[in-house]
Amino acid sequence: MKKVVNMNVDRSAVDTTEHKYHRGRVHVHSRAQMPEKQLFSFAEYHAAEAERIGYSKYSYWNSVWKNFFKKKSAVCMMILFVVLFAFTFIAPEISQFDANNLRIDNDLAFQSPNSTFWFGTDNLGRDYWSQVWSATRTSIILSVSVSLGQIIVGTIIGLVWGYVRKLDRFFTELYNFMDNVPTIIYMTLIALMIGQSVLIMGIAMVAFYWLGTARNVRNLVFMYRDREYNLASRCLGTGLWRILARNIFPYLISVIVLRLALSIPGIIAYETTLSYLGLLDVSTPSLGILLRNSRSFFLNYPHLLIFPASIVSLITITFYLAGNAFSDACDPRNHV
Amino acid sequence: MKKVLSMILALSMMLSLAVILPAQAEVTELLDYIITSSEMETFCYQYSQKANDLNVLTNCYDHLLTNDPNGGLQPAIAHTWYVDETGLVWTFELNEGIKWVDWQGNIKADCVAEDFATGLEWVLNFHKNDSANTSMPIQMIEGASEYYEYTKSLPEEEAKALKLDKFYEMVGVTCPDNKTITYKTLAVMNYFPTLACYNCLAPLSAQLIEEIGVDGYFGATHEDLWYNGPYTITYYVHQNEKILTKNPNYWNAANVKLFDTVNIKAVEDANRAYDLFMAGELHYVELTESQITMIQNDASHEFHDCLVPMLPTKYSYNWHWNYAKLNADGTPDTNWNTAVGNEAFRQAIYYGLDLTDYLARINVVNPLSCQNYTYTTANLVAKSDGTEYSQMVLDLLGMEYDPNTFSRYNAEKAAAYKKQAMEELAAEGVTFPVELDWYISASNAAAKDTADVLAQNFSDMLGDDFIKFNTKTYVTSYNQEVIVPQLHSVWSSGWGADYADPVNFLGQEIDFDDNAYYAVTYGNVDQATDVDLKAQYKEFTDLVNAAHAITDNTDARYEAFAKAEAYFLEHALCLPTYYNKGIQLTQVNDFVKINSLYGNQSERYVNWEVSDTVYTADEYAGLK
Amino acid sequence: MAKYLIKRFFQSVVTILLIVAVVFLLMRLMPKEYFFTEDELMKLTPEMQHERLLAAGLLDHPLVQLGRFFKGMFTKFDLGISRRIQTGKPVLQVIGGKFGISMRLGLIALGLALITGVPLGILQARFKDGILDGCGQAFTIFINAVPALVSYSLILVFGSRVLGLPAMYSARKVQKIMIFGQQFKFNTSTILPIICLSLGSIASYMMWMRRYMVDELNKDYIRLAKLKGLSTTRVMFTHVMKNAFLPLAQYLPYSVLLTVGGSILVERFFSVPGLGPLLTDAISRYDTNVVQAIVMLYASLGIAGLFLGDMLMMLLDPRIKLTGKGETR
Repeated sequence: MKKVVNMNVDRSAVDTTEHKYHRGRVHVHSRAQMPEKQLFSFAEYHAAEAERIGYSKYSYWNSVWKNFFKKKSAVCMMILFVVLFAFTFIAPEISQFDANNLRIDNDLAFQSPNSTFWFGTDNLGRDYWSQVWSATRTSIILSVSVSLGQIIVGTIIGLVWGYVRKLDRFFTELYNFMDNVPTIIYMTLIALMIGQSVLIMGIAMVAFYWLGTARNVRNLVFMYRDREYNLASRCLGTGLWRILARNIFPYLISVIVLRLALSIPGIIAYETTLSYLGLLDVSTPSLGILLRNSRSFFLNYPHLLIFPASIVSLITITFYLAGNAFSDACDPRNHV
Repeated sequence: MKKVLSMILALSMMLSLAVILPAQAEVTELLDYIITSSEMETFCYQYSQKANDLNVLTNCYDHLLTNDPNGGLQPAIAHTWYVDETGLVWTFELNEGIKWVDWQGNIKADCVAEDFATGLEWVLNFHKNDSANTSMPIQMIEGASEYYEYTKSLPEEEAKALKLDKFYEMVGVTCPDNKTITYKTLAVMNYFPTLACYNCLAPLSAQLIEEIGVDGYFGATHEDLWYNGPYTITYYVHQNEKILTKNPNYWNAANVKLFDTVNIKAVEDANRAYDLFMAGELHYVELTESQITMIQNDASHEFHDCLVPMLPTKYSYNWHWNYAKLNADGTPDTNWNTAVGNEAFRQAIYYGLDLTDYLARINVVNPLSCQNYTYTTANLVAKSDGTEYSQMVLDLLGMEYDPNTFSRYNAEKAAAYKKQAMEELAAEGVTFPVELDWYISASNAAAKDTADVLAQNFSDMLGDDFIKFNTKTYVTSYNQEVIVPQLHSVWSSGWGADYADPVNFLGQEIDFDDNAYYAVTYGNVDQATDVDLKAQYKEFTDLVNAAHAITDNTDARYEAFAKAEAYFLEHALCLPTYYNKGIQLTQVNDFVKINSLYGNQSERYVNWEVSDTVYTADEYAGLK
Repeated sequence: MAKYLIKRFFQSVVTILLIVAVVFLLMRLMPKEYFFTEDELMKLTPEMQHERLLAAGLLDHPLVQLGRFFKGMFTKFDLGISRRIQTGKPVLQVIGGKFGISMRLGLIALGLALITGVPLGILQARFKDGILDGCGQAFTIFINAVPALVSYSLILVFGSRVLGLPAMYSARKVQKIMIFGQQFKFNTSTILPIICLSLGSIASYMMWMRRYMVDELNKDYIRLAKLKGLSTTRVMFTHVMKNAFLPLAQYLPYSVLLTVGGSILVERFFSVPGLGPLLTDAISRYDTNVVQAIVMLYASLGIAGLFLGDMLMMLLDPRIKLTGKGETR
């Protein structure tokens, strides 16, 4: 078994160098059949050529982007999402109502979408268009920043947790602990003792979401930490953070990106739960709050559900597709 | 594994098969519902103080007395009742042949006078009943307070083992024979018999306690209980379904009309209830705002003409001022406190708010049917000539209900008061606009809507230069987060009577009294500094106490109370706002049901009439 | 091995006890007004509230209460009585009554998800990038993208109005059905809740099964198997499926055990009297004994589920060893 592995390694090493010199046109096999004379000839001396280093223009991130842009559906959705986000800033401007100061008028309650009220009106006769777009803006900002926050915290802690053996026990217990106490209890206590603004809830969500990421990262780190190259690196005196950042982290990028992408819609859904439990400030409308409110109306007035729900669906699909595409693109095995 | 797989396969086949099977045929029974979150919490009748439990359990027990559709007292287990010449000792004479039965209707024992004593002993025993339902007996019955304190001082085991000997010795209750019970009150109380409809004076079989033990009764299930009322609970699945079945040995069966069974379903929310109603699985349904609007706007809707109002509940809702508001950092909010101490400021709000939009949050079809101008719930009591108490108050105030406008609203008066208030208060250093903090639960979308409506009304009707309406939120506990730290400017709450006397209402609002719960808790009257305000509260308190002292003449008593209440409202010491009257679709004739504004007899499924079609609004109005 | 099992068992017990203790103390930080209903709060004076809490034993020092709780648990296996959910009833009975209902529905739904989701996932992988795969992916995305509330409502409206199925769970709607000469009892009112429960897991089993199958298909041993001349179907079923199912198998005991927990939304929606909504209900009613018992139940199930998953992995895949140098957990 071991022998086979060694052979593989050797051959691939030869392969790549050949590829780089000849842009992959000549095959090793064909060469084997040529007579020796043709195979070897004296090279002419070029001073400039002698100075040239065997270096290709390969850049990891360039390849990632290149691969990513090959997935048309994901790119389209991503563009759509960016447009959507940009539109949340434009929409209130082109609307004839002031989103922060909507008039209540019982006679206009539950209007279906029409030329005045583009998304119809809610139960108090307020313009739904303005509400939906400002809610979308809040939700996107909240979910993207929470996702980024939890990914950063989760990855750093996960790397340390997986790599430093002494800390494994501690973090495992911490994880068991936090994971098994119902989140509602934590959330209620945080809302009660600190407050319940969007900012505080965002921080609180980061504080619980990192657990899952950290555990995932830790399990992956296990696979890489005892490989020979890490052992060698350690022997050469490379510091902890450098090993984590340079030797291990690159292997995790695809998984982390996928987690990031999937957690964004997850957080919007969680928002609904939080607002259902009364832990979210109702004065800042978000998609979660609109969805929750529409609960009691949507069977009779579906437009109150359809608009926020389709935006949530759009965001979910975008990140599902883009996340998968990006995660594939991150895998160096798929690069040229 | 194969077995499991085959089981799963079989099950999935059944799933598809079951789709074809026909629905069950319906039986003749009343189909009622509750919202799942208001499921019963206890079967211990003496312990419960929650409508959720009482609405069901009141069908399982007969009391000494009951009510009629107009709220008047009717004999039940007691056929006669009277007071002695001192006015203190009330005697109830009981019918014979009343049986306790188990949940399947088998006769277990006779229901005798001593069972009422056992019930009251349970209520007053600190360790048996966890101090629930004690307030009224303690305020009314001689020795009740002492007995409660005595049991509290005993170790738990000892208190739980107590029988009636000590109770008879300490409390003013006697049972001369099996069919007579007497209660001695602390003072002359003509309204004492109304308490006999309440669950704190409900009977409890001593033999049952012997059989299942004290803890057994406290944690009883429907199968453990003994029943003496019109129904027994024969089926009960928590948060799902319960069935009440006619008691086959009900003593009064000849005189009342009962259903064979009553099926009460627990549904997740009003939308699910509506679904069930549309599927013919309920006999009435209370509608939500969006359902009402939809039915109203859709002329071809099956029930377009069937929107009818529900009967009012016993609660009268009011806004209470906070006279000692604090800021979040604990310092007094002098600006608000000075302003609210000024009568003109309060009057400006009192006359300056047309609450129609606010009432539309409760009843969007006919908001003005919810208008309320008195502190005491209408139709609670009446004088001997039939004049209703709240009408007497309205007459003194010179106000009347107008079905078309919110009659308290008076723009000119309000403008004048506003001008006066701004002048007077500016002199006292108050800065305008005065900030008014209104607290709502963060999770409550409906409350947020209401607050938005009010904010707009304040701004439109009183002007942005006068008052600034701020909506603030609490997370879980309004008491701990708002009331105790005194952060609110105004607090809206309702009071419903426990017994039929105005003192049960006005007694909540007087100054210098331990029982004046609202005045102290919400109003912080004891910490108010304004001299005029304190004088007004003193005057009001004197008026209430004077009225309460009249015990020999009920008419004079009510008149005196009406005077006190009119004084209270004239000075805008409180702002009556609304009655809770929803809109429903129904097959039930609500006017023949028991209907009383105190106690819980109204929920009995006795003498109900259910039509086989849904009433139209005209038909329903005709029933009245 | 035995030593490892014993060690792990005791570690788990300690963890569970710690969790219970922490939840216990956290609960005491919550507002005690949860104990009262809104009606009661409106009508009870602070003194009366105080008396009620005192009588319910909720005003003692939290550590005293904790001691009492542990003493009851270890000496009599008594977790106390419910104070609000079903007042006076022992907590074990409260949970016991709901346990079975959630578990029965959950297991049927899980079974349904397995027997539909896994084969569909396999088919998707087998015909990768075909029409079937496309439809499957669209279904997965749809289920994940549409809020659960909406899909449940659609199922409910369709099921009750078009197919005439009971819209509300009722234990009394049991029908007897004869299949292959054997009599089965089946409750028609469970059909809609089961469909709602299984929908999400069908989608996720499809997604993961496809994912693992596709990953596995690119591995060397599969190439070898193909080179050996095995038919695609044979390769799929004897080699790929077995290995692709492994990662799913690890979560299987966990999922089976957690069916007990029920689902808040589905159970609320169909009035199923199961365990799902109990935790939130108990927290919002300050029924501390019930909260503790449920947290203990969930924590034990979760920890046991992970443990059984590890064991199952070890049995199915001989390369994995639990008693290595601590790298396995």
